[in-house]
Amino acid sequence: MDRIIELLDVWKAYDGVQALRGLNLDVYKGEIFGLLGPNGAGKTTTIKIIVGLLRMDRGTVRVNNFDITEEPYRYKKFIGYVPESVSLPDYLTLEEFLIYSGKIRGVPNEQIRERMNHYINLFELEDKRKALILSLSRGMRQKAAIAAALINDPEILILDEPFIGIDPAGQHAIKEIFNERVNDGKTIFISTHMLDTAERLCSRVAIIHNGQNVASGDLKKLQRLSEVGENATLEEVFLKLTEEAKEPVVEEAAERRRRSFLGLIGRKT
Amino acid sequence: MASNIILDIYRLKIKIFFGSFRASKISLALLALYALGLLPSVFGFSLMITSAVNQENANIDMYIENLAAIISGFISIILLLTLRGYTAFEYEQGLIFTSPITPRKFLFASLFADLTESLPFTHPIFILFGAVAYSLSMRALSALTMLFIIILFIFMLLFLKISLSIINSLYKKPWLRAMLLILIVLSLLPALAGLSADFPLKYNLLPHPSTFLARSLINIVYENGLQLLDSIGLFSYFIFSLALFMFVSGKNFFQHVTYIPFISPFDASMRAQTLKMERTIKTFSRMGLIFTLNVESKSLLGFLMKKEMIRMLRDGSLFSVIFLYAILIVVMSFTSVSGSQGKEAPAPIFFMFFMGTYSLITPLMLISNWRFSDFENIWIPLTSNLDPRTFAKALLYDLIIIASLVPAVMSLILSVISGVSILLPLILIVLTSIIGSSTNLYLMIRFSGKRRRSTPSFLIGWASMLLSGLLLIPTYILILLGMHLKIDDAINALISIPMLAYSIFIMKYFLKKTGENIVNMEV
Repeated sequence: MDRIIELLDVWKAYDGVQALRGLNLDVYKGEIFGLLGPNGAGKTTTIKIIVGLLRMDRGTVRVNNFDITEEPYRYKKFIGYVPESVSLPDYLTLEEFLIYSGKIRGVPNEQIRERMNHYINLFELEDKRKALILSLSRGMRQKAAIAAALINDPEILILDEPFIGIDPAGQHAIKEIFNERVNDGKTIFISTHMLDTAERLCSRVAIIHNGQNVASGDLKKLQRLSEVGENATLEEVFLKLTEEAKEPVVEEAAERRRRSFLGLIGRKT
Repeated sequence: MASNIILDIYRLKIKIFFGSFRASKISLALLALYALGLLPSVFGFSLMITSAVNQENANIDMYIENLAAIISGFISIILLLTLRGYTAFEYEQGLIFTSPITPRKFLFASLFADLTESLPFTHPIFILFGAVAYSLSMRALSALTMLFIIILFIFMLLFLKISLSIINSLYKKPWLRAMLLILIVLSLLPALAGLSADFPLKYNLLPHPSTFLARSLINIVYENGLQLLDSIGLFSYFIFSLALFMFVSGKNFFQHVTYIPFISPFDASMRAQTLKMERTIKTFSRMGLIFTLNVESKSLLGFLMKKEMIRMLRDGSLFSVIFLYAILIVVMSFTSVSGSQGKEAPAPIFFMFFMGTYSLITPLMLISNWRFSDFENIWIPLTSNLDPRTFAKALLYDLIIIASLVPAVMSLILSVISGVSILLPLILIVLTSIIGSSTNLYLMIRFSGKRRRSTPSFLIGWASMLLSGLLLIPTYILILLGMHLKIDDAINALISIPMLAYSIFIMKYFLKKTGENIVNMEV
C-alpha cells in the first residue's frame, strides 16, 4: 500500500513540555486510520504539525509525497481538517462559511455550489443555510466544520475528535461519509478517545503515549503485541499498552536528569 | 428585613462584578490607565466649555439647542436599549430568581448596584463637572443645584430604562416597539436644527426633558437662576418615571427575562474579549446581512477583502469607527461659535490634533476587533493551500480603506459645516491610516501566536501607537509646517506625494514582515 502520511522521528516541545519524542507514524492511502492515546499523549500536537498549525522542532513529515517543511502550502490542497474545539467565523452564515472555505482552497465556483448543497442536505442543515454560525448549536457547528473540510474533496480528511457533540444520526452520517470516501480510495485520519468507535471504524490504529508511538497496526497485531489474548477489545489492548509504556518513560526521565546532573558537575570541574 | 435582602443582593452583585480584580492585577492597571487616559480629554472639554461660556455675545439659545440635542441622543440610546427587553445575567437565574426575593427588592438592589458599577466608567463626568464649576468660579449653591439636577436626571433615565425594558419583556407587542422607535425618531428630529438654522422644530419650543435639563444647566452656569417652568417640567418627568418604575416593579417579570452570560468588563483575557465580541455580533449582524458573501468573486484578494468588510460590518467595527468620528463632529460643531456669518471654523490646530489622534486610534480599534472576533478562526486559512500573505494583504487593505474612508467622509461633512480646509486633514488621515494599519497589523500578528498570545491587547496597542507615532513624525512635521507657514494647498499637495511614497514603503515593509510572521505562526 502507498504511504500517504509519513512521520519520521518528529520532536516537538512547547510551554516547557516535551510533547513529541521522536514520533514515527505511517498512514496508508485508502484506510481509516485512528490515532489513540491518553490525555496529553501528543495526539493534537501530531495532527497540528501535519496540518501546518505547529512547527516541529526536528524530524520529517511527508504528506502525499510532499515534505511539509520544504513545501508548506501545496500539500494542503490535498487535506481537509476539522480541529478538536471548532472555532468558526460567527459573523458568517453557514452558506457564506462554506463558500469561504471553498474559495481559499481554490475550488471552482460550480463545484463549491454543488458540494455545498450536497453537504447541507446530507447533514440536514437546509433550514440553517442562511443562519449565522453564531446561532448554530455545537453539533451543527461540528457538522458545518466537517462540510467545510470536505468542500475541496480532499485526498486526506484529518479530524481531531470528530464525534464530540454530534447526535447519533449525525455520527451515522459522518461514518457513512468516511466509508464512502475510503471506497473511493481516499484516506481518513482521526484522533479519538472513543475506543469502541475506533475499533469498529478504523482499519488501523496507532497508540501513542508521552509523544511516542507505542504500537500501531490492525487490532489483531495489537492484540499480539500487548499479549492480552485474541479476544481482547481495543480498550483492553489500549490500557495494557499505555500502562506498559509508562515505565520506560519514567526511567528515561530519571536517566535524563542523571545525565544533566553529571554534565553540570563536568562543566564545573 | 427588606433592606437587609436588598443589601445582600447588592453586595453579591458588586462582588461578582468587581471579582476579576482578584484574579488579575492587569485589570487594575487597565482601569488606572483608562482613568488616566481620560483625564486630558476631560480637562480639554472643561476648557472648551469654560471658553464657550466666557465668550462675549455668546448665543445662549444655540447652546441650549446643542446641549438638548446631545441629551436627547443619550435618551434615545437608553430607549433603544429597552427594545430587547429586560436582561439579567445567567448567574442571577439560579441564585436570585429561584429564591423568594420579590421583583421590587431585586430591582432596587440592581439599581444601586448598576449605579456603583458604572462609577469606574462615569467618574469623568463628575471630574468634568468639578473642573467646570471650579474654572467658572460657580457659587457652591449653584454647583450643588446643578449636581442635584444631574443626579435627578440620571435616576429618571434609569427608572425609564428598567420600566420600559420590563414592559417590553412582559407584553412583547410589535406596536409597542414601533411606538418607542417613533418616539426616538421624533425626539431626535429637532436636532436637525443644528444643521440648518431655518429648521422650524427646535428643542427650545418643546416640553422635552432634554430641553428642561439643558435650559436648567445653562441658566445655572450663566447665573440666571432656575426657571419655575423648567423645574416643574424636570420634576414631572422624574415623578412620572418613578411612578412607572413602582408600577412595573410590582409585576412578576422573572420568567420573562432574557438571560445573557456574565462577563466582567474588567476581565482582560482573550476568552472574555471573544465572548464580548459574540454579543456585539448578535447586535450588528442583523444590519450586516444586507451584504452577503457570494461565490462569484473573480479575484481571491477581492473575495477576501469583501469577507473582511462583511466581518467589520457585522462585528460592529465599522459602527464603532463611525461613532468615534460622529463624536468628533459633535465636539467640533460644539466648538464652532455663532457669529453674524453663521458658524465659524474651529481652531485648525485643535481640529488637526483631534483628527491626528483619532486616525491613530482607528486602525488599533479595527485590528483589536479582528483579534477578538476572528483570530481564533485563523486556523481555516492556515490549514488551506492559500498563501497566508494574501490573507494578510486583504486584511491590511481593508483596514486602510476603512481607516481612511470614514474619517475622510466625516472631515468632508465637517468642512461643509464649518468651512475647514479639507486638504491637510485628508493628507494626515491617509498617511496615518496607511502607516498605522501596517504597524498595528504587524504587531498584533507578531504577538498573537501560541507563544506570545497572553500579551494583553492594550499593551500591544500602546506599542503599535508608539511605533506608528514615531514613523509618522515626518508627516506631523509636514502638517505643522503647512499650517504654520500657511502654505498654499497646491504646494501641500505636491509635498504630500513623496510622503505618500514613504508611507507606501513603510506599508510594504510591514506587510512583508506580517506575511513572514503568519507563515511561521503557531496556533
